[in-house]
Amino acid sequence: MKKIIYAIAALMCWNAVEAQTDKGSVLIKNATVLTVTNGTLEDTDILVENGVIRSIGQGLSAGSNVTTVDAAGKYVMPGIIDAHSHIGLDVVNEATSPITSEVWMGDVVDPYDIGIYRALAGGTTISHAMHGSANAIGGQNVTLKHRYGTHDPENLFMKEAPRTIKFALGENPTRVHGRGNNIQPRTRMGVEAVIRNGFNEALQYKKRWEDYEQASKQRNSKAIAPKYDSRLQTLVDILDGDIIIHCHSYRADEIYMLIQVCKEFDITNIVFSHVNEGFKVAPELAEYTMGASVFADWWAYKFEVYYSTAFNAAILNENGVLTSINSDSGELIRHLYHEAAKTQRYGGLSDDEALALITINPAKQLGIGDMVGSIEEGKQADLVIFDNHPLSVYAIPQMTFVDGVKYFDISEDKDDQRLRVNPTELVEPIFLKEHDHKCMHDLDFLYTETENLFNLHNH
Amino acid sequence: MSNIYNLRLLLGLLVLVGFLHISPVKAQSDNTGEKRVTGTFAITNATVFTSPGQSQQNTTIIIKNGLIEAIGPNVSIPSNAHRIAGDSLYIYPGFIDGASSAGVSRPKDVEKPSNFNASSPPDEVAGITPFRNVLDYFDGNSNQINEWRKTGFTIGQILPEGGMLPGKTAIVVYGHKSSSNIYKENAAMLATFKGSRGMYPATILGVMAKFRDLYKNSEYNSQHANLFASNPGIRRPERDKTLEAFYSSHDGSTPIIFAVEDDLTTRRAIRLQEELGFKLVLSGVSGAYPILPQIKNSQVGVLLTLELPEDKSSKMEDSESDEERKARIERVKEAYKERLAEAAKFHEAGVPFGFTTQGAKTSDVRKNIRLMIENGLSEEAALAALTINTAKILGIDNYAGTLEKGKLANMVISTDSIFKEDSQIKHVFADGYMFDYETSEKKKSNGNGEAAELEGKWDYSAQSPQGDSQGLLVFQKDGDDYRGEITLDNPAGSGQITSELKNITLDGSSLRFEFNIDAGGNNITFNVSGDISGNEFDGNLTVADFGSFPMRATKQPETK
Repeated sequence: MKKIIYAIAALMCWNAVEAQTDKGSVLIKNATVLTVTNGTLEDTDILVENGVIRSIGQGLSAGSNVTTVDAAGKYVMPGIIDAHSHIGLDVVNEATSPITSEVWMGDVVDPYDIGIYRALAGGTTISHAMHGSANAIGGQNVTLKHRYGTHDPENLFMKEAPRTIKFALGENPTRVHGRGNNIQPRTRMGVEAVIRNGFNEALQYKKRWEDYEQASKQRNSKAIAPKYDSRLQTLVDILDGDIIIHCHSYRADEIYMLIQVCKEFDITNIVFSHVNEGFKVAPELAEYTMGASVFADWWAYKFEVYYSTAFNAAILNENGVLTSINSDSGELIRHLYHEAAKTQRYGGLSDDEALALITINPAKQLGIGDMVGSIEEGKQADLVIFDNHPLSVYAIPQMTFVDGVKYFDISEDKDDQRLRVNPTELVEPIFLKEHDHKCMHDLDFLYTETENLFNLHNH
Repeated sequence: MSNIYNLRLLLGLLVLVGFLHISPVKAQSDNTGEKRVTGTFAITNATVFTSPGQSQQNTTIIIKNGLIEAIGPNVSIPSNAHRIAGDSLYIYPGFIDGASSAGVSRPKDVEKPSNFNASSPPDEVAGITPFRNVLDYFDGNSNQINEWRKTGFTIGQILPEGGMLPGKTAIVVYGHKSSSNIYKENAAMLATFKGSRGMYPATILGVMAKFRDLYKNSEYNSQHANLFASNPGIRRPERDKTLEAFYSSHDGSTPIIFAVEDDLTTRRAIRLQEELGFKLVLSGVSGAYPILPQIKNSQVGVLLTLELPEDKSSKMEDSESDEERKARIERVKEAYKERLAEAAKFHEAGVPFGFTTQGAKTSDVRKNIRLMIENGLSEEAALAALTINTAKILGIDNYAGTLEKGKLANMVISTDSIFKEDSQIKHVFADGYMFDYETSEKKKSNGNGEAAELEGKWDYSAQSPQGDSQGLLVFQKDGDDYRGEITLDNPAGSGQITSELKNITLDGSSLRFEFNIDAGGNNITFNVSGDISGNEFDGNLTVADFGSFPMRATKQPETK
């Protein structure tokens, strides 16, 4: 099978043209270090060299050219990772087809989005910039490192992160396509059929190309290439295990349905997002998937999200489901540490368990758990310094580092952190519903036709 | 020898035949009165800018058969030449517009089929029409072409209207209405990031993916077609006019011109170019200085927009501004200045660029070029961008872009150095035809010049293809500013309506204002700009997407 993967071809181009992203060196002294994977270390230093955590210990020293930060009385934790976000994007939904696996969020990254800086100010160093939930199979996502200040979208890409894709079940795809456009899927059964048909078509597509490749190897081959289709090619890549599915879902039945479909097609790389009824299928999630990414306590914004509990994360966690807490919002992303702390009130998780929900667990779900998500020697130096324990309600992030480079410092925070200014507007339009989920952005065209269907919240 | 003899004989015969053929025409009078007396011109003793940075004084240019026949200080003037005394005149190569909408109408929307499915619409419904030819939608005699010619433009690459892939462009000369005026058909394929409302692809996300798929499949289809043409045993390739429209871009013979807006859209176009390998021209580049190195590296053709943002920052400050607000105003000012200096930055970085007039108003273009010059662009670089650079990007530099013997006779003739504010365009030559424009003694519009007396009632008349319209303009002083209203015929019925004038600015003798009219649910903005001389106003009324029309007004005597 000839692999035509644009993302990889494009990656090669970037490397040729673009300079390496900035890597910093810093020595953080005398902090309480919350490693997440190796407990809490009191009065400890972290030495970062060239973007990587070189050593963790006491009495460390660095060359005179390396900045030293005295963190006595302060807390250092790994940079917070948001496994479900839509910040830094010009467009969220290509909502026009039940399957749009060919589109890629890397094409529409907006490095000027002030939301990236706000996320840094909340200690979030990595976000998973996702396609919206209008389609059964949506677009390919991109994992961003919050290197705010660059004008180049590609400098935000975490290029070593694997490919991921958005799926969506339930009311959003059935409303947009079934009720909005009168095509499949109109029901949950339709969503399943769309996904199943997509994978079956992809298998046929794969076969066509394999036959062609085989025929082209013959001497004097006159083989004719089949039609190229990046939509089906992406589905082939999912079946080949090259792409992690992140699936918007709420109800236990639909989650269980997709687990069955995945088993049938030998797909193991799947994470469920939102998963408000996940507690009902926790053992299945634990056994067959890469886990669940949930809200701490957010529900009842539409019919399918009524059956919910704030104990969801704790129940999933206790049942061995790899669990993370995400924001899906430009507002929540600023204090995911509060969201994680709620699991201590609702479920009594330990500090390490609660912090893992916003660090190493989402890292694993994005396929980057070996690079980030905890404070370990050899990992990328994405670090946040807090004045109090991050699970305390009094905690305020002081400094945020990505690859050892400081991108946020509360003592240097300016009134105006915009990178780009409109030459004619004193007050630029801002998105006033920032606190709402952004999953259903860019659907205005459908509102005009079926307005009454869209009077609900749009998560 | 015999060849030469034969040639002479042939020429002799041709002359004779020509004479026989022409003589009956000559015998008749030209009852339209439009036929010109001669196509040979001599402009004597002028200051000639043959190419950017190259000027010579006391120079004569001979034009014959649409070509520059001779250029120099001592050239003999043919006896049938129309002589124009060029003393005190400045001659430049005619301006070239890298991407223009002038004279181009929007194709009718294609009707949706009865089995329409928004997730897989037919190409034509979804704005994917790369097979269209802009010349099928072009009117070379439109008023817009006249207006751009009056501004100094003689050649333009005209772009089709439409969605993601509107069609093929053409390069035309703004010549005489009786001629075809085409230099190049299918000059480039236009691509945009415009999504198709309510169907796939609706957003930039879908457009990027669709573009890649179309390009890849056009390559496979082309290979298939070639195999079929030269081998037995190959199944018939399915015809697909969308994919076939891409074929000539595979080998770089037809560039793809991408309409971009800012640095992010510019990057997206470059990303597609790097992935797929076509020849790229960027049109409408603005705010792209953060990516000058990438643009330089990718060796693409660059057309900067001639539209500049309005200077609003100077009006933002007021006595109530606190520090925070002042700092924000300062940033808006910086951003505005950066945009004015963008052309200069491209030049400094060694990235050659041309211009596009898309989105720009005829009345603003020369002012905008002056603003770019005031912000660091050299006059030489400005002239290059208006002429030879664009000619090179369009691939027409062997016959256009400079003034030299053998090149096509396209030129602008002005009363002073063309970049000076008071300089006026007196003649434009396009395709060897001369177009004359009225020039007048102007008051200096800034500096020592007196401000015109605006307050009062003015009777105006505006010309449009639908006929002339008359009405009343009333201006009143309001502090340092003016307010006013316009009375005009009700477009939606009988009688007259009035509309409030907005953004009235009077700078010396130069007046600008806007007004809006509601026409059948559409709010249309009219921009008026021109000059006041005593009690006379002479200017243009511009409607976005429709064009620009002459507007004159006379002040009513004041009754006290």
